[in-house]
Amino acid sequence: MMTTSNSTFMKTALYNQHKACGAKVIEFGGWLMPVSYTSVLTEHKAVREKCGIFDVSHMGEVTIKGPQAEAFVQHITMNDAAKLKPGQGQYSALLNESGGMIDDLIVYRLGAEEFFICMNAANRTKDFQWISTHATDFDVRATNESDQWAQLAVQGPTSLDAMMAVVEPSDRGIIEALPYTNIAKVNVAGRPCLVARTGYTGEHGYEIYLPVDHAEKLWLALLATAPKTGIVPVGLGARDTLRLEACYLLYGNDMNDETTPLEAGVAWAVKLTKPAFIGKDALVRQKASGIKQKIVALKMKDDGIPRHGMTVYWRGEPAGFVTSGSVLPTVGGAGGMAMVSAGVVENDELEVDIRGKRKLATVVKRPLYSAKTK
Amino acid sequence: MNFPNELKYTKDHEWVSSSDSKIGVTAYAIEQLGDIVHIELPEVGKDLKQGASFGTIESTKTVSDLYMPVSGKITAVNQAVLKSPESLQNDPYKNGWLIQIAASGDAPGLMSAKDYEAFIAEH
Repeated sequence: MMTTSNSTFMKTALYNQHKACGAKVIEFGGWLMPVSYTSVLTEHKAVREKCGIFDVSHMGEVTIKGPQAEAFVQHITMNDAAKLKPGQGQYSALLNESGGMIDDLIVYRLGAEEFFICMNAANRTKDFQWISTHATDFDVRATNESDQWAQLAVQGPTSLDAMMAVVEPSDRGIIEALPYTNIAKVNVAGRPCLVARTGYTGEHGYEIYLPVDHAEKLWLALLATAPKTGIVPVGLGARDTLRLEACYLLYGNDMNDETTPLEAGVAWAVKLTKPAFIGKDALVRQKASGIKQKIVALKMKDDGIPRHGMTVYWRGEPAGFVTSGSVLPTVGGAGGMAMVSAGVVENDELEVDIRGKRKLATVVKRPLYSAKTK
Repeated sequence: MNFPNELKYTKDHEWVSSSDSKIGVTAYAIEQLGDIVHIELPEVGKDLKQGASFGTIESTKTVSDLYMPVSGKITAVNQAVLKSPESLQNDPYKNGWLIQIAASGDAPGLMSAKDYEAFIAEH
């Protein structure tokens, strides 16, 4: 995206639209982003009941092309990219040699020799550096396309209706039939875009990758469906409460490059059966010796809101810390996720140290919230 | 935004009523915080100095300390607000009081409604 001359923060192509919608803007990972337009709780509810549109253009995109594209993606990511057919995507991560998560990603296969990777905003530079360094051993071309792509997320029960209104009529069937985590090249508001059936809210939804200079047009076209879909702009505040209820990890909060995917609760996306990949040996060793800590979901029994960094007690002893916590607008009450001793199991009682007072919480099944249809 | 003339204000966005010694937070603070989801207040009987933290107010994203505008002993805590913190949004002054105190000593540095309004315009 663009950097303005009078500011060290970056702005997405939709910055002026956010201002026009009355957004409260905050700094996030080097970007000036809307935290909310009306209120976090109102926007959260809109996504659960109708539809929300999120500007997530700060996210990064890398393409990997060339004869060894598959072999290279297999080498640098933990999930099995060889299983992907063109148009399919998967949750994955870049790991370091110790098995720590450099970043979590969505890896899409666009063609036999072409992959498209979506990465976290704050990790764009770090990730691309890591990818480029390792790409030199393969016959591939890795390109950081982050500045060329804007990204809009359309999430909620009426998100398909919103999409139908902006997708080229001849492409509507493709979007209607798009399976979860798949991606398709279709015309949206008159220009070719990539549309994936993915999201970070726990609702049925889409993520649209589009040219930066098309962002305003599509943003306005989607908002214009409001009378029919109830779509509203949603900021990072509700994005966080929505993803927390769905128990999606937030890089930097729930995990970092010292956390392995086995500890972070995403072992389902680790394929130790595939050939060597960076971090595999460390994970094999960790699996054999047993993990010492893991992420669990918790709900507060006592009053009080758990927040990132608060100490968690189990059987009277310190056993970890809250990685993400908040009120849970749809679930009710307060809760979140915590990194705790591996011995902790569902229904166990925990205590969270909230500003010097120990408040009772219960370990519950993940996710905290699950939509009827996703 | 409404800042009643009969109240005195702090730079931390609390108000205090000189007539009944009730204390709360201003409409400006509420707007800045966004949705209020949780409030913690002290026990009745606690003695606190001016500037000491008497509790916390939480929005979906942040936790903020509440500071005593004047020194005094807590004589009442607004239970209704503890039960439904979101009610502060519409009424931060009348029914939105947080604590009542028996004030003691001087309270330097408090602002009039007019000065407070000028203060937030600058910040």
